[in-house]
Amino acid sequence: MKKLFALILALAMVLTASSFALAEDLPTITIMFHGSNVTDDTAVLEAVNEYIADKVGAKLEVVWGTWGDFDQKATDALTTGDSSIDMVFTCSWSADEYNKYAKDGYFVKLDDLIAEYGADLTAAIPESLMQAATIEGAEGMGIYAVNGFKDTATQNTWDVNVTLLTELGYTLDDFKAMSFYDFGDLFAKAKEVKGDSFYPFLVEPMVLERMVTGSIIVAGDSGSTNLLSLYLNQDDVSAEGPYGNVMLNKFATEEYKKFVEKMHEYYEAGYVDPALAVAETSNDTRTNAQLTGDYLIGTQSYSFGYEKQIDRGIEVAFVPCTEPYVDTTASQGAMMAISTASEHPVESFKFLALLNSDPTLMTLMNYGVEGVHYTLEDGLVKFDPDARATYSPWTNGMGNVTILPDTVDEGAGFRESFKEYYAGAKAIPALGFVFDTSEVNTEMGNLSNVAAQYALALDAGALDPETALPEFLAELDANGMQAYLDAANAQLAAYLGE
Amino acid sequence: MDKAQKRYAGLNTFGPGAQAVFHICLGLFALLCIIPFVFVIIISFTSEDSIRQIGYSFAPLSWSTQAYGYVFSLGRQLWLSYFNSFLITVVGTVLSVIICILYSYPLYRKDFKYRNFFNFMSFFTMIFGGGLVPTVVVCKQMLGMSDNYAALIVPMLFNPFNIIVMRTFFQTTVPRELIEASTIDGAGEYRTLIQVVLPVVKPAIATIALLNALAFWNEWFLSLLYVTKNMDIIPLQYLLMRMQRNADFLAKNAGMLGADAAKAARNLPSQSLKMALVVFIVVPIACAYPFFQRYVVAGLTVGSVKG
Repeated sequence: MKKLFALILALAMVLTASSFALAEDLPTITIMFHGSNVTDDTAVLEAVNEYIADKVGAKLEVVWGTWGDFDQKATDALTTGDSSIDMVFTCSWSADEYNKYAKDGYFVKLDDLIAEYGADLTAAIPESLMQAATIEGAEGMGIYAVNGFKDTATQNTWDVNVTLLTELGYTLDDFKAMSFYDFGDLFAKAKEVKGDSFYPFLVEPMVLERMVTGSIIVAGDSGSTNLLSLYLNQDDVSAEGPYGNVMLNKFATEEYKKFVEKMHEYYEAGYVDPALAVAETSNDTRTNAQLTGDYLIGTQSYSFGYEKQIDRGIEVAFVPCTEPYVDTTASQGAMMAISTASEHPVESFKFLALLNSDPTLMTLMNYGVEGVHYTLEDGLVKFDPDARATYSPWTNGMGNVTILPDTVDEGAGFRESFKEYYAGAKAIPALGFVFDTSEVNTEMGNLSNVAAQYALALDAGALDPETALPEFLAELDANGMQAYLDAANAQLAAYLGE
Repeated sequence: MDKAQKRYAGLNTFGPGAQAVFHICLGLFALLCIIPFVFVIIISFTSEDSIRQIGYSFAPLSWSTQAYGYVFSLGRQLWLSYFNSFLITVVGTVLSVIICILYSYPLYRKDFKYRNFFNFMSFFTMIFGGGLVPTVVVCKQMLGMSDNYAALIVPMLFNPFNIIVMRTFFQTTVPRELIEASTIDGAGEYRTLIQVVLPVVKPAIATIALLNALAFWNEWFLSLLYVTKNMDIIPLQYLLMRMQRNADFLAKNAGMLGADAAKAARNLPSQSLKMALVVFIVVPIACAYPFFQRYVVAGLTVGSVKG
C-alpha cells in the first residue's frame, strides 16, 4: 500500500514538473477587456496564439469583462496586485481611471518600451493620441497606456425622425435652420397629428443641456452629475470660448437659465415624457422610444457612421450641433495599460503594439476567425449572426479600430473616411486637462448629492426654474461650490500656463 | 355543551367580529407576500411591445412566451448555472451547518477552557471586517481560491451571527444535566453531541440550514470577485446580476459611451427575460421552504411550557 502511494506521489510530481516545463516555453499573458459579449473564444484564441507565438513570444489569455462587471474586476485585480492580469482596459471614465491609477502606480510607464519595441505602434497611432496619453504618473511625465484610435472626438447631434418630420410637412433643411428655441411649433404639430400620448422630444437631459448651452464635460468633474461647464467657441472649437478658458458653475450661467426656462415650457406643453426626468427610468425610456422610432427629435452623441448601424424602421438623420471636438474625455476614451503587478511587461507591450498596428491580429481579435465568425464578400466582412452572437467584443474598446476591414453594413471605404473624419477633428484649448479633485473630495460628494436632486429634473423641464433654480443655487453655494470652482480654475490656469 | 364548557371554550377564541378582522388583516398580509411574485410571473409572460407601450402591468396588451424561449436558448450556460446554484447551495449548506455546530457547541460547554477567547474571535469579526482588498488578496493569492467552486463556497462557510444563534439555542434548550447524564452513562464527547444533543436542537439546525441555504442560493458577489475566466462555474444569481449590472452600467455611462452604449443596449436582454430568470431563481428556493417549515414552527414553540 505504501509503495503504491509513493508511486502515485512520484508520478504526480513528474507530471506537474513536466507541465511546468511546457508552460515555461511560452509565458502566458492575460488581457482584460471591457464591455464584451463573448461566450466562446476557443477558435479565436487558438488562431491568435498561433499568430503571435513568434511575434510576441507569449500565449494570450483573455478575461472578457462585461459592461457591468469590468469596473469591479479591474480595480480588484489592480489593487490586490494580481499578477495573473497583465493588461487592463482603462480610460477617463471608468473606475480604474487612467490618470488616477497611473498616478497611484498601478500602470507601467511605457516610454522605454515604446522606444524599444514601439516603432510600428507610433506609426499607426496619431501623434495627438500619444499626447493625450502623456500624463504625470507615478514615475513622472510619460505614457502609461496605449491609446486606442477610435471615435476620438465628441459630437452631439439632433437625432431626427425624418419619416415623421416629412409627414408633418417639414423638410430636413427646415429643421436644420431651427434652433432649440424654435422647436415649439414643430412639437405642437406633432402632438396634433400623433395624439396626446405622443412625446415628440426624446432627450438625454444632461446631453441636451450641453448641446444647447454649448458647454462640454470637464474631465475629472463629478461623474454622476457634472457640476462644471467649460464653454465652447461654437464657431471654432479650437479657439477660446465666450468666457475664456475658465470653468463656470454649470447651473449659474445665463445660458443655463434660458435653457431650463424653455425646457420647462416644452415640458408643461407635454412635449417631454415625464419618465425622462426621473433618473431610474430616464435611460430605459429613451432607449426604448429610440429603438421603436417613437419620437420626433432626440439627442444622440454621435460617432461616425452610426446611422449605418441602426435599424428603427424609420428614416433617421443626425444633425450636428457643433463640429466634432477633441477633449480629454474623448481622447482618453479607450486605452490599454499594463499592470505593474505583471510578470511579463515586455511581452504584454509587444502584444499591445502588435494589436494596434497589425490588421490581421486586430481583425482576428475583433471580428473572429474568417470562415467561422465571418466571410469576406468583395473584401467586405459579412458576419455569421450565430457565430457573432457568441463572439462580439466591444470593438471600440480594443484599440486601433481604423485598421479593421470594412463590413458589409458599413460599406467599402468606411474605415478610411472614419480615419479622416477623426484625424481632422480640432482639439479644444484645454485638451489634456484633468481636474484632480483630491483636495475638494468632500465638497464634490456633497455637491453631486445636491445636483442629483435637481439637475436632471431641471434639465428635463420637470421643475419650474422660477422657484427651483434659486433654491438649487443656494444649496450649491452652501455646500462649497465656490471652493470647488476655485480649485478647478486654479488647476486649469496652472495647466495652461505650463 | 353546558355553560361552563362553553365559557371554557370561549377563553381561547375570539368573537366573530374580531375573527373577521384578523382574517382580513392576515389575508391582506398574505396577498402582499404573493402579489409581487404573481406580478413577476405576469411580466415574464408579457410581450416586449406591451412593456414598451404601457410599462409593467397586471393586464398587459399582449402575452408572449418569448422570454422563456430565450432563457431556454441560453442552453448550456443556463443549465450549468442552474446546476452550479444547486451544487453550491447543497454543499455550502451542509458544510456551513457542520462548522456552525462544531464551533458553537464548545462555546456552550462551560467546561471548555478557551470559550471566551473563541467567543471573542467570532464576535469580533461581526464588528470589524478586514476590508475587501485584503480579503480578496488572502482568498485569491494565499488560498488560491479563484475560478473554482471553493471560491464560491469557502468564504461563506463561517457566519458569526449563526454561531451566536446556535450557541444561544444550545444554552436555552439543552440542560447541562443532559450532558452529565450521558457522560455518566459512558458516552464520549462525539456520542454526546451527535446522539444526545443534536436531536434536541433540530429546530435550530433547520433554522440555520435555511438561513445558510438562502444565503448561498442568493449569493452573486463572490462570483463577481473570484470568477474571472471560468464562466462554467457561475451560479444562476450571478447570471441574472450580470445582465442587471450591464443594463445599469450602460444607463449610467450613456453620456460617455454615446453611440457605443446605444449599440450595446440593443444586445441586452429584455425586461420580460429578466423576470423569467427571476422565476427560475425563486421557484426552487420557494419549494425548499415547506421542508424547513415544520422545524421552524417547532423551534418557535419548543421553549414554551409543555402540558
